Amino acid sequence: MIFEDKLTNKILIVKPLEKRIDAFSAANFQGHIVDWIAEGKNHIVLDLSGIFFIDSSGLVAIVSILKMLNPSGNLVICGMNEAVLDLFRLTRMNRVFQIFSSREEAVDALLKTLPNG
Amino acid sequence: MSAKETYTAKTIKMTINSRLEEVSLVGSAVHGICANLSLSGTEASQMEACVVEVVNNAIKHSYHLQPGHEVDITISLYPDRIEFSICNTGEPMKSWEKTSIDFDPQDVCALPEGGMGLYIIKSIMDEVTYEYLDGVNNFSMSKHLNKVL
Repeated sequence: MIFEDKLTNKILIVKPLEKRIDAFSAANFQGHIVDWIAEGKNHIVLDLSGIFFIDSSGLVAIVSILKMLNPSGNLVICGMNEAVLDLFRLTRMNRVFQIFSSREEAVDALLKTLPNG
Repeated sequence: MSAKETYTAKTIKMTINSRLEEVSLVGSAVHGICANLSLSGTEASQMEACVVEVVNNAIKHSYHLQPGHEVDITISLYPDRIEFSICNTGEPMKSWEKTSIDFDPQDVCALPEGGMGLYIIKSIMDEVTYEYLDGVNNFSMSKHLNKVL
């Protein structure tokens, strides 16, 4: 899976450049972010604006990342299309994650949660 | 007494190898077919999601991720509904996952990390059936449509 990652001094923005996070790609997707967490990057914006489809494996990967970051870090999501948002609503994961329309809103919201943010 | 109408469904059949990287082909086909039937974008994505979940399950659990086996997908179009049948000759499906997912959204530690596939299917589809007969797993599901096809 190919990613576009942007690192500021406080926040990591991860954008998968594939169209799907599914049973085939979920482990690779999760592993990529886990590698960043291992480097101490634990405030993450996940930009899903390129993603057309997520299955339950992809959803579980995202949930697992959030659990790894908890409680000292956080993961917020932006750019979901209607199909992906529909899956989050169906599984009630829209009540778990902070979801934003734009990357800017997501970054601003995450910055506010940081110490001295 | 009224005459009983019979309708021969239009069917589309696909077969893929038991490789997870091929599941997206099925998903895209299902989505495209549904979109062409005037389902909304969200409905087409929901149909895709359900078929993908079943095909994934066949490859992961019935075939244990071993390539070289076949998963057959049949789409049947009726005037008032669409039916999907997914067959494989792997191990029988066990009661593969919870059909409800209860969790406290505020309790991150207790969030589910699996078992959502069947819940997703049963939330979207109107009818879901499974049988294991003569060595074949046959998982069928159908969705009633608001518009007549």
